[in-house]
Amino acid sequence: MIINPIYINGIGSISIQKPLSEDGIFNPVSYDTPRVSCIEPNYRDFFTPAVSRRISKIIKRSIITAKHAISESGIEMPDAIITGTGLGCIEDTEKFLDSMIRNEEKFLKPSFFIQSTHNSISSQIAINLDCKSYNNTYIHRGVSFENALVDAALLFKQKKIDSALVTGSDQMTPNYFTLLKRIGYWADTVNDTLQFVRNTKTKGSFSGEGSISFMLSSQQNKNSYALIKAMDLFYKPTVPIEQKIEQFIQAQGLNIEDIDIYLTGMSGDAQNDKVYTDIGKNLFLSEKTAFYKNICGEFYTSAAYGLNVAASSLKKGIFPAHCLQDGKERKNTTHILFHNHFKNKDHSLILLNKCSN
Amino acid sequence: MEKLIIELKTEIIKVLNLEDITIEDIGNDDPLFGDGLGLDSIDALELIVLMEKDYGIKLKDANQGRDIFKSILTMAEYISKNRTI
Repeated sequence: MIINPIYINGIGSISIQKPLSEDGIFNPVSYDTPRVSCIEPNYRDFFTPAVSRRISKIIKRSIITAKHAISESGIEMPDAIITGTGLGCIEDTEKFLDSMIRNEEKFLKPSFFIQSTHNSISSQIAINLDCKSYNNTYIHRGVSFENALVDAALLFKQKKIDSALVTGSDQMTPNYFTLLKRIGYWADTVNDTLQFVRNTKTKGSFSGEGSISFMLSSQQNKNSYALIKAMDLFYKPTVPIEQKIEQFIQAQGLNIEDIDIYLTGMSGDAQNDKVYTDIGKNLFLSEKTAFYKNICGEFYTSAAYGLNVAASSLKKGIFPAHCLQDGKERKNTTHILFHNHFKNKDHSLILLNKCSN
Repeated sequence: MEKLIIELKTEIIKVLNLEDITIEDIGNDDPLFGDGLGLDSIDALELIVLMEKDYGIKLKDANQGRDIFKSILTMAEYISKNRTI
């Protein structure tokens, strides 16, 4: 897919790492449990009690990260607000449905209902910012964030917008964690999340959650993180993925050797990771293979955290050792190929370049 | 009546997610809407659900709510006279 250059000019992140900080990427915390929850900021610093009681946790997180990204970018108001979420406001959805079942479909709670729709996140960000422009939400399980990003890219290409706030947001409830555990989504034991992806190749991963917002712009500024040079999504590719990747890279006037980092959605799950390791071997990218789910965990929109890792590393000029397969830090990286797949059916490729600040 | 008032205050704090507010902060005569607790129309819906679910009272006329939901005391008085459960 041919896109216009898109600059990442602001990022806000709340995840299982330190909130609103790049510390989570360069000095991450490790955990010893398969279910890890977000490190929350002090919400009282951001919301009055009257506002706070009306919005659920995932919406609070998303509003805070959105405002942080906008503030970093120096842009006052985005031309579009686009959100990707696999589960939406699942915590309130569960409360609403639980109450509906317990009370035999009577006494439905209006607050839980209002907060239980998937597009509450994008709309509440808009209401909080008083932004009346384009607003959309994408719900496509493991490729929700990537679809939100594609929407923004198409709007940039059509010159309908000059800036977009794109957010990936998901939360993990105890109930949903248990349901996914039954179908083998999670590892039985996790001793060190930071080393989990590199060292573990069994069934299942560990769960995380997070809200990560990006302020995208058609214009570079002095604080730009990185340039999104190209992106592509494909479903059940009919040709080998290696071929797709080569074509994708060559279309940008590059060769495979020009790629400094092959950032993947490896999670420690053997079946998931084999797709990436095979590609790494076949395209001679093994030594450049990296991952990010060891610091954010697995959730439907974890690709947003991966984009955060790629962009922040390009800006800082250092790709952290704990995210590389060989455990050796890289400096002066210029091109990052970011590849994710969901069940080896949906694939996304994003080429990021270092900005020439 | 005092037991019902405490029960109502506890339930309202829980149902309306009134962070930072304790039962001691809510006076029996304090207005629930406007200047008092600052509740709004969505809260009114929650209170209607609470009345029906916990006390078996179904409000037939929405205008009744204006008088019933003036304060904790007016709510408690109405409930004690009309409760079915």
